[in-house]
Amino acid sequence: MKRLVILVLVFASWSMVHSQDESGTTSTTPPAFSPVTWERLINAADEPENWLMYSGTLDSQRFSRLNQIDAQNVGNLKLKWSYQISQIDRSESVPLVVNGIMFITEAPSNVVAVDAATGRQFWRYNHDLPDDLRICCGRNNRGVAILGETLFMSTLDAHLVGIDARTGNLLWDSEVANHKAGYSKTAAPLIVKDKVVTGIAGGEYGIRGFLDAYNAETGALHWRTHTIPGPDNPDVRTWSGESWRTGGSASWITGAYDPDLDLVYWGTGNPGPDWNGDVRLGDNLYSDSVLALDGDSGEMSWYFQFTPHDVHDWDAIQVPILADIEFNGEIRKVMMWANRNAFYYTLDRETGEFLVGKPYAKQTWAEGLDENGRPIRVPNTTPTYEGVVVSPSIGGATNWWSPAYSPDTGLFYVNAFDGEQKFFMRDENYEEGEQFTGGGGENVKPNEAYFSAIRALDPKTGDLRWEFPIQPRSTAGILTTAGNLVFSGSVDGYFYALDATTGEELWHISLGAQVHSAPMTYAVDGQQYVTIAAGNVVFTFSLEE
Amino acid sequence: MRWNTLFRWAVTLLVGSAATGTWTVIPAAQEIENPFTTRVDIRLGQRVFGQRCSRCHGQDAKGNDETGAPDLTTGRFSNARSPTGLFRVIREGIGGTAMLPISPDTPDATVWQLVSYLESQSADPMDIDLPGTASAGLGVYNGKGNCGSCHMLDGKGGRQGPNLSRVGERRDPSELKAALIDPHVEVAPRWWTMRVTRQDGSVVEGFRMGEDTFTLRVIDRDLNLWSFHKSDIRSFDRNEDSTMPNYAETLTASEVDDLVAYLFSLRKES
Repeated sequence: MKRLVILVLVFASWSMVHSQDESGTTSTTPPAFSPVTWERLINAADEPENWLMYSGTLDSQRFSRLNQIDAQNVGNLKLKWSYQISQIDRSESVPLVVNGIMFITEAPSNVVAVDAATGRQFWRYNHDLPDDLRICCGRNNRGVAILGETLFMSTLDAHLVGIDARTGNLLWDSEVANHKAGYSKTAAPLIVKDKVVTGIAGGEYGIRGFLDAYNAETGALHWRTHTIPGPDNPDVRTWSGESWRTGGSASWITGAYDPDLDLVYWGTGNPGPDWNGDVRLGDNLYSDSVLALDGDSGEMSWYFQFTPHDVHDWDAIQVPILADIEFNGEIRKVMMWANRNAFYYTLDRETGEFLVGKPYAKQTWAEGLDENGRPIRVPNTTPTYEGVVVSPSIGGATNWWSPAYSPDTGLFYVNAFDGEQKFFMRDENYEEGEQFTGGGGENVKPNEAYFSAIRALDPKTGDLRWEFPIQPRSTAGILTTAGNLVFSGSVDGYFYALDATTGEELWHISLGAQVHSAPMTYAVDGQQYVTIAAGNVVFTFSLEE
Repeated sequence: MRWNTLFRWAVTLLVGSAATGTWTVIPAAQEIENPFTTRVDIRLGQRVFGQRCSRCHGQDAKGNDETGAPDLTTGRFSNARSPTGLFRVIREGIGGTAMLPISPDTPDATVWQLVSYLESQSADPMDIDLPGTASAGLGVYNGKGNCGSCHMLDGKGGRQGPNLSRVGERRDPSELKAALIDPHVEVAPRWWTMRVTRQDGSVVEGFRMGEDTFTLRVIDRDLNLWSFHKSDIRSFDRNEDSTMPNYAETLTASEVDDLVAYLFSLRKES
């Protein structure tokens, strides 16, 4: 029997190595997939045929050097294939592509591997979930990370799992936090060297947020940095009483990493309860902030708080974009950030110094920013029992959907919404595992009554260079390419391409369902593809071969 | 009676389970009377709604475009036909949507209080004392108001305004009155008017049937259906005012009251 097994294995190996094509000649096409080393991740921009992480590269620019599809020929894009996710939902997934294999996450916490050229399945992994999830905003998963031959995925029951990228087999399953206390996980992790850095959701359940790094091989916790200081940190005084214990400050979108500075950058969410700030007086550090953490230890190097003592649910849950740009005559290492609070910021990412801040969307809550970037508040804009109308809306001027930056045009692209909302405050007691929001919102007008646009900003000044109007609005991420293109989608079900320099519309297609994900691009056998999820279908386009 | 089919034995079972903090799965075909319908229950239900439901459905339970959560104040629920159905939806969620089950350790009493609160948000016509009379309102509708020239009712009438068949299920009397005497305050985007100027300078004007980033759909006064690519036209203007006449100027206060009573009576025969 043992001899038979060996014989079968030998034959299988021989078959794989000596596969023949239809003409009978031995194929020279290499097999799909190859392990993804840390070196490959650092240099991901150099292999634009692959999309190796949630934001494409560690600097999160969402810029691809692929230029086969360009401003001249993008009008000839054709549907290549589509993949139907069985769960009816609005997909928020950004797939990865590794040497011809695409990894797509599905609601609620599943992943499939498909041929990136055909959309046909290799394997799937379905995560077992309990029936007592605590999730505020849908059964979402936004994508996986990869290192070596292992995929890493967040799950709604607040676990992190390691999955074999070749077979879909579960390698390890680590509980990150207790889902019964309101913790959950939706965002794609970020690989930093040999660690899996990953955040947590649950800011509407009175959790105490954190950012974690796990050993990629074993799933063991390596470091944890709380996003709310504890009693051993003087910053805890920015929370009245014991409110820090239930202060939220979740970390539910993917961050960025600078290998030269060895700093991890990650945004934090709203303080809790969201709309009743009376029970958590103070600035509520480090909610609504960007944190710069040491890649090896998680120790905080600096933080910048965009919205001190937020009472409108304006999470700083945006993807940080890193670039080195000329600034007042010298090259500066900067971070670009269009915040949910309607202000755009450019920060020095070595020190956290505030360089630029300017509204990029309608806002009525701040007279402006002071010289340190701190907002100067307009009186009477905090929520009341009767309700007060403020811009931006609860959903924000933008939200978690990814912006993009093109080093070719030097422009930062963001989906912006000039909305408003009536904000209410409510008295509420914390109960573990129950929502702890302290208020809510009412719509003032239908969404159609407001203005929405993709806006291109100059990161040196925050000035608007161009805008492309969206009706009624967009909740999609953005991709930009060396073909001088900007790709995005909108809730009216369109996927479209704009000229990255001028904002001129070049191509669009109606996909028939809300686009709530971000586009990505890759290439197989020299053919460039662009992929976007709309509704629960993943669509892939290319030029005619 | 709005909800029917009572099973007293089930109530006993339910109260028992609520008292012990456990929860009940109600068999699909079974209807149960809500045992928690007092004013205090409604207020407690409202508090729970604010805490657990308002994030998606809005503080006023009128829904939210962004989350896709529906308006719960219309008296009609897509996935429930009775209090027991509502109980079931809250308890079990709606598969394939963002509507999740309420946390399993929530007592049945709390779920029933939520049901009571939601029911209280939709007006029961039997409970509302209106100043006008529906029969007189019918006369105003067909006579001085000439409402049928623009509105359709049970398959008859105009197409220049919302279909008023069963409008009493969608609007409460105060909303109906506001629409008659202050029609510009809240106009649904479907009834905004669009003025489209084509490349040759010709103009098409009509109701906004649909608009998105790249296209427009319009129905003009002659009921022609038009579809435009925004890139193919010279310009377009949007008017968010209502085309409805202000009846405060042409009807007496009592005629308005009668018309409101009539419109509010337009609902599906139960």
